[in-house]
Amino acid sequence: MKTIKYFACLALFAAFTSCSTDDNSGDENELLETETATVSNLAAVQTADYTTTPATITGEYTRFSFESGSIVTDDSWDLAFRGTTILVNGGTAVSDDEPERTGTAGVYIASGTLSSITEVDTSLFVSDSETDGLAITTGSENGWYSYDYTTHIISPIAGKILVVKTSNNTYAKVEILSYYLDSDTSSDSQYYTFNYVYQPNEGETTF
Amino acid sequence: MSLNKNKIIIYFLAFVSYFGIAQNENTTVIDSVPEALEEVMVTATRTVRQLSSLPLPAQIVSKADIIQSNSIRLNDILNEQTGLITVPDFGGGEGIQLQGLDSQYTLILVDGVPLIGRSAGTLDISRLTVGNIKQIEIVKGASSSLYGSNALGGVINIITENPKPGFKTDLNYRLGAFNTNDLNTSINYSKKKLATSFFANRYSSSGYDFDETDALNTVEPFVNYTLNGKVNYQFNDKTSLTTSGRYYYQNQDYVASETIAGESKINEWNTHVKLNHDYNNKWSSYFKFYASRYKAEEYLNNNDGSLYSNSYYNHFLVRPEIRANFKPTAKTTFTGGLGFSHETLDRTYFTSTPIFNSPYVYLQYDGYLNENLNVILGARFDSHNKYKSQFSPKAALRYKINTKLAVKGSVGYGYKAPDFRQLYFDFINSTVGYTVLGYNTVTTKIPELEEQGEIENIIVPISNYNDALYPESSVSINFGVDYKIASSLKLSVNIFSNLIEDLIDTQVIATKTNGQNVFSYYNVNQVYTQGAEFNAHWKPNNNLKISGGYQLLYAKDKEAENAFKNDEVFARNESGSSFQLQESDYFGLYNQSRHMANFKVFYNIPKINLDANLRATYRSKYALYDTNDNLYLDDYDDFVSGYSVIDVAVNKTFYKNYTVGIGADNLFDFTDTQNITNIPGRILYGKINIKF
Repeated sequence: MKTIKYFACLALFAAFTSCSTDDNSGDENELLETETATVSNLAAVQTADYTTTPATITGEYTRFSFESGSIVTDDSWDLAFRGTTILVNGGTAVSDDEPERTGTAGVYIASGTLSSITEVDTSLFVSDSETDGLAITTGSENGWYSYDYTTHIISPIAGKILVVKTSNNTYAKVEILSYYLDSDTSSDSQYYTFNYVYQPNEGETTF
Repeated sequence: MSLNKNKIIIYFLAFVSYFGIAQNENTTVIDSVPEALEEVMVTATRTVRQLSSLPLPAQIVSKADIIQSNSIRLNDILNEQTGLITVPDFGGGEGIQLQGLDSQYTLILVDGVPLIGRSAGTLDISRLTVGNIKQIEIVKGASSSLYGSNALGGVINIITENPKPGFKTDLNYRLGAFNTNDLNTSINYSKKKLATSFFANRYSSSGYDFDETDALNTVEPFVNYTLNGKVNYQFNDKTSLTTSGRYYYQNQDYVASETIAGESKINEWNTHVKLNHDYNNKWSSYFKFYASRYKAEEYLNNNDGSLYSNSYYNHFLVRPEIRANFKPTAKTTFTGGLGFSHETLDRTYFTSTPIFNSPYVYLQYDGYLNENLNVILGARFDSHNKYKSQFSPKAALRYKINTKLAVKGSVGYGYKAPDFRQLYFDFINSTVGYTVLGYNTVTTKIPELEEQGEIENIIVPISNYNDALYPESSVSINFGVDYKIASSLKLSVNIFSNLIEDLIDTQVIATKTNGQNVFSYYNVNQVYTQGAEFNAHWKPNNNLKISGGYQLLYAKDKEAENAFKNDEVFARNESGSSFQLQESDYFGLYNQSRHMANFKVFYNIPKINLDANLRATYRSKYALYDTNDNLYLDDYDDFVSGYSVIDVAVNKTFYKNYTVGIGADNLFDFTDTQNITNIPGRILYGKINIKF
């Protein structure tokens, strides 16, 4: 019950704050408020050609920026989504069809709830790497999701929080809620719904 | 001296006539007066022993109970026994759970030799007709000290009917809902030294469907046949030969979608030859030869008749064994055996046809330290060409405090060898694209995939696969009390604990460039099942029998327990956000119920040749999957609700040789179409039995 109440407050808070990111830039010393929001049905559509072995996956990555709180098309992105794959804008590309990494962003996966992760552990950040693979490892139970071989449903694992460092040295924490359109597993997949909290103050490692 | 000899011969003949020759594994009997009514079993010690004096938790299902219950398949009757339940497997079969352990950990024997054909670990016990069963013997607790691999949770031994004296024939037919037909006949002929019997069964059903929206049925129509023949030959009063053969054939529709359909077929045979010889009243021995083949094939065709896919599974087993019994005193028996097991499996998705060779030896002491204290000590050694050799000891004792009360306890080691699939699988899912590799194929297959550019990351280094995969093993402890309040009322309690180590599970060993994983098998988990079983039997007179049973079970994964303890497990609330779970939220293993119970009343009215019975079983809630995305089963997951099933049957005999029966299985028409595929709803049936 407590948690539900908490999230109801969060949602209200998000409704008021998500469109007002840069309003209070008057006082330099005053810290900016953390921004809490829900992103629904972020399309991360890919197409797979199974006639080749291995199957050929194609499609544009959908780029997301925490600073703008929205999908972007330029290099200001922090995370990019296609299918179950999530890229971070730091390090090097793993394959040719990925967007170029222009930033210094990193990510790690923490265990906890969105509210219980209050501190960033800066020693844990990893960027994508041509040699070591993606920072958010792919495959069932390796990263953020599990795949059910009988129902073929992709489920975000409960208690996995993505902690992100942006190229601007600000931090965000993300909880993925669903991989399906309108969070309905009988609907189309490759649509992300996630909650996040963004700490817009540079270098500030608490939420 | 000669008097003594005569006595033994009389005992021997008594046994031959009552228990038959084939089952008479030891011509002498420990601690049992062969009263015709006292139940005996061979499974617990491999010698004939009185059930009530055994130091192990054991039970017998009698032919009378099977007949009066009008059961047709083995799963029907086993489901009604305390602590046993059959659960549907995704392949369509039904496997047995015993003391909270899955089907793959219970050894299923027919006349003392193992059935094969466990394509995914489960042995489908609905394959077995009960039409020719004399009794079913169930021994709980690890029994690898006598039976080797798979006897980790326990052993279920199906004793088939032996040729009866004279010439006898009978015919049985049962017709029930879903167009289920069960027809069987048996022919017996015995004369002097030769005894023969033949049994045939045909079983068919139109199947049933819980979900009309797709082309598939929950159970597709099928027909199967069982043929069984036995020949006993008594050379003289010391030497006898038993040969038996069994053949099973099943053909079932196989539907994958509206446009893709085919058939699945099973062909299975086994043959069993046994030569008994008694040297004197102390020494006896036998030689046994057993061979079996289980072959399953299936295919799917497209609409236009072209082949969509096919697969096969062809398992072969040969096992010669020699055994000797030495009986230095009336109450002491030493049993020793030496055998060799040879197995091959030819299967789709295997790169080779692997061979398992395993010589084994076992020894057992069964005796009395004093009048009231029975001790069994036994051990078996299995050597194996593909995995680590196994030494399986066991100790059991029973102390008779007085004529009413006895305590018994046993500790045993059990193991299950890695099966062929866990070692040699080479499978790629054609639609999703993941790969499953058997443990022994990893070191060759991963470099191959790497060369083909299919591997993105290796997560578990190949060097981890240099050592052999360990067999799954368990230590099982049972402690029980038998309390005979009166000759008509018996109570028993058994507390059990099974700790299983090196459980074989799958893990991701590499990721593929298509975003999917490569899985392989590894030893990891520690799992335990513990609980208690209660049984009560009340037989106020010869015509009324009332019994009740209950099992309490805690079946848990230790690693999961630790994850909960360390606050690493979360669940989602209705809005999809996570919250942390407590240690007490961990429920346990999938498909295991905390409570199971049964209640049975059998009633005879000899005056009008009528018998009637009511059997009820209950199973408390359980879960099949993790439904709240944390990979563990906790109190916030969706559970299958508890349920009970009540069966009733009435049989009446006319003119001695004609019996007519009617009944209802699942009288109150319980179904759970979402979760329980093996309970089709109420089955009304009629049955007729004619003896010639």
